[in-house]
Amino acid sequence: MFPTSVNLGGLLWKIPWKLSRTRKTNQRKRLKLVDNVIETVRASGVECASLAKALELPKESEMPARDKYTVFSPHDEGYRKGIHKVPKFTRITHRVNPRGF
Amino acid sequence: MTALTLLQSRACVSRCTRATISNLGPSIRWSSTAQTQSADGSAEPSASSPSTNDEPLTHYRITLRRSAIALDARMKGTLLSLGIHRRMQTVYHPHSPEFAGKILRVKELVEVENVPASKVRTKIEQKQERKAKRGYQVVGRHESQQW
Repeated sequence: MFPTSVNLGGLLWKIPWKLSRTRKTNQRKRLKLVDNVIETVRASGVECASLAKALELPKESEMPARDKYTVFSPHDEGYRKGIHKVPKFTRITHRVNPRGF
Repeated sequence: MTALTLLQSRACVSRCTRATISNLGPSIRWSSTAQTQSADGSAEPSASSPSTNDEPLTHYRITLRRSAIALDARMKGTLLSLGIHRRMQTVYHPHSPEFAGKILRVKELVEVENVPASKVRTKIEQKQERKAKRGYQVVGRHESQQW
């Protein structure tokens, strides 16, 4: 985002509150890529504990939009904040949030 | 396709490989004489792909698509243990629970494919495949005079 003028007393760097349409599209694409990796490992026929855990994760098609684009936050209004506020959110797995939030 | 280009294609049928014929597409109609001229004698439909083999898929083809910079040291260690040192590097590993676990550790960074054993390539073999073919063939060398 663009920095506001210091004269105006605004924030130096603004971060949008929610993801834009493009960012949401890219987020869905990334989720599908991880789904493909898990599916490939499952199709190989190998069995291991980490695969069992990975298969418990919801797939992108099964996830509600809230979980794709926001994460649980105990401090924010509505107890949710944008997933883009999570460091390295494009390279970590965060699909499940506490129940009821 | 015009008659002229069709004739030109038929003229080079004897030098065409099977792959070249199939690339022309199913809309090209070959006469029986044109087909027998080619080394293989048959024009495969372009729909059949070499990947639909019956070979058992025994290996993982792992390519690093996203770097592990600023990520967990264990993730970086996992990539090293897979033999990956840079982005876009491709390695092949046999199916086993150990490698499956390693892949799932770095699943956000990596692209995986199941391949048969015939598709496995070492680092040097991958490099050879990337090399551009020379446009000429050495048939002999000039013998220099004895001084």
